Amino acid sequence: MKHRIMKIVLYIVLALLGVVTVFPFIWMVLSSFKTNREIQSIAQSLLPEEFIPDNYLNLQQTFDFLRYFANSLIIAVIVTAIVIYTSCLCGYVLGKYQFRGKNIIFGFVMMTMMVPWSVTIIPRYTMFMQAGLQDTYISLVLPLMVSGFGIFMMKQNMEGIPDELIEAARMDGSNEFQTFHKLILPLCKNGISAIAIFQFLWVWEDYLWPYLMIDSESKQLLAVGLTLFNGRYSTDYGGLFAATTISIIPVIAVYVIFQKRFVSGVAAGAVKG
Amino acid sequence: MFKRRPLQSKSEVWMRNIAMGFLILYMTIFLIIPVVIVIAGSFHQWNPLNETYKWIGIDNYIRMFSYPTFWQSMANTVIFCAVVVIFRVLLGLAIAYALNSKMMRHKTLFRTIFYMPTVTPLVAVAYVWKIMYNPQFGLIDNIFGLDINWLFDSKFALIALIAMTVWKDFGYAVILFLSGLMSLPSDCYESAGIDGANAWQTFRYITLPLLKPTMLFVVVTSIISYLQAYVPVLVMTEGGPGTSTYLSSYLVYDQAFKQYNFGFASAISLFILVLTAIFTVISFRVTGAQES
Repeated sequence: MKHRIMKIVLYIVLALLGVVTVFPFIWMVLSSFKTNREIQSIAQSLLPEEFIPDNYLNLQQTFDFLRYFANSLIIAVIVTAIVIYTSCLCGYVLGKYQFRGKNIIFGFVMMTMMVPWSVTIIPRYTMFMQAGLQDTYISLVLPLMVSGFGIFMMKQNMEGIPDELIEAARMDGSNEFQTFHKLILPLCKNGISAIAIFQFLWVWEDYLWPYLMIDSESKQLLAVGLTLFNGRYSTDYGGLFAATTISIIPVIAVYVIFQKRFVSGVAAGAVKG
Repeated sequence: MFKRRPLQSKSEVWMRNIAMGFLILYMTIFLIIPVVIVIAGSFHQWNPLNETYKWIGIDNYIRMFSYPTFWQSMANTVIFCAVVVIFRVLLGLAIAYALNSKMMRHKTLFRTIFYMPTVTPLVAVAYVWKIMYNPQFGLIDNIFGLDINWLFDSKFALIALIAMTVWKDFGYAVILFLSGLMSLPSDCYESAGIDGANAWQTFRYITLPLLKPTMLFVVVTSIISYLQAYVPVLVMTEGGPGTSTYLSSYLVYDQAFKQYNFGFASAISLFILVLTAIFTVISFRVTGAQES
């Protein structure tokens, strides 16, 4: 009996926490179908009086939101692909090879994770301005090609791959490049999924660097686009709800689809860490 | 186990040279050189707009330590960090423990839900929460029947930022603790059961010590990332009202890219770096000390 009550209490508490977690999302999506008058009215209701798509349609007319969306998507996909590859490559070499200086290099990799953005951003800004790279996408991709977090994660992943497997491939006469691409990469799907989602999200939500580098509005990314929109139409709450919905839903969709692989990938990094 | 084995084939040497060469080049350009530039810059009056770059010794540091907003931002950052990390660990551990118990089903559903805020972009989330805090038609005052102007009242603004951050980030701790719990060896629990330990004793003396690596990972990564937090401030309060929600990294942004005091901002950012290192070492010490 005591057991049963415990179970019910536990379920209720967790369900409540679940509602608190999800509620802002539901509120955001439902509000994006309301008129501004309804959003700001005294009498609040969760469901809109009637679902109107105007916020989404107006958004596109006043503000080229899909453009920002596409820009962010392109940059995020490119950066994520590069980071996955460099993380796997460096993770493989650091995890599976023995050579002098390895620990020093790995120490520096860990340092890149610890050094705050505020330390590196001023010199980086100065360097890129002097190189004349402002307002180019090179400036957005170049500094993000390597991720300390990614290398750390993949090193953990690689260490879990048995040496015998790699030895066997070597015996069969496969050179290291073939081994890496054909044997190792497919074995790291969990780790890769975790890096993919995190890296994609980081590029998607990064604000300061694109804000500093990109001048032309047509090249701007989504996170900065949101602040531009808010700066210009600060009382268009319906529009803002529509804009945030558009910028949040795709990331959540990707997460829900890949969540199983992703969760085991994330976990592998921390438990052994 | 790993054998100590030197690189054998030519292709292994090539592989290492390419990967490590690339890595060293990258870290030199994007880590080592920038740190050197920042250290040098912190001893200069440095403004890129009027192209000033003048040696002024330790003046930036003297100014920093006598600048009230700096101390305010440090106090805010310490409070912000401490409260969010504590909530993150407690909530994360409690929920993970509950989800891990044999009574619970629908684990995947709960896990997916709790983790959702973590994988959403922060800028967008901050805007949604900004409207949620609106005193006229915001969700929070409406639901709880309050009349608080969260973001414009210096008593509540920092709390508002903390609440949003806890909501956004606790799920990450849930996932990590859950996988930590699931990887624990079950034979410890069996012997504890035989010895007649109750649930709390089992948790306190067996589970908690075994979770130490996960705990350390959560605490260290949290501290590092919260010392760098600026987006919630930028979107929701811009440091206001007054200077009541200035966090140290927002102060760097403000000084560097609004006022263009690069030298002064460099000094502050180096202080944050030192703070990060100190907190990391302390976390390792604290969790390491419990070992004996």
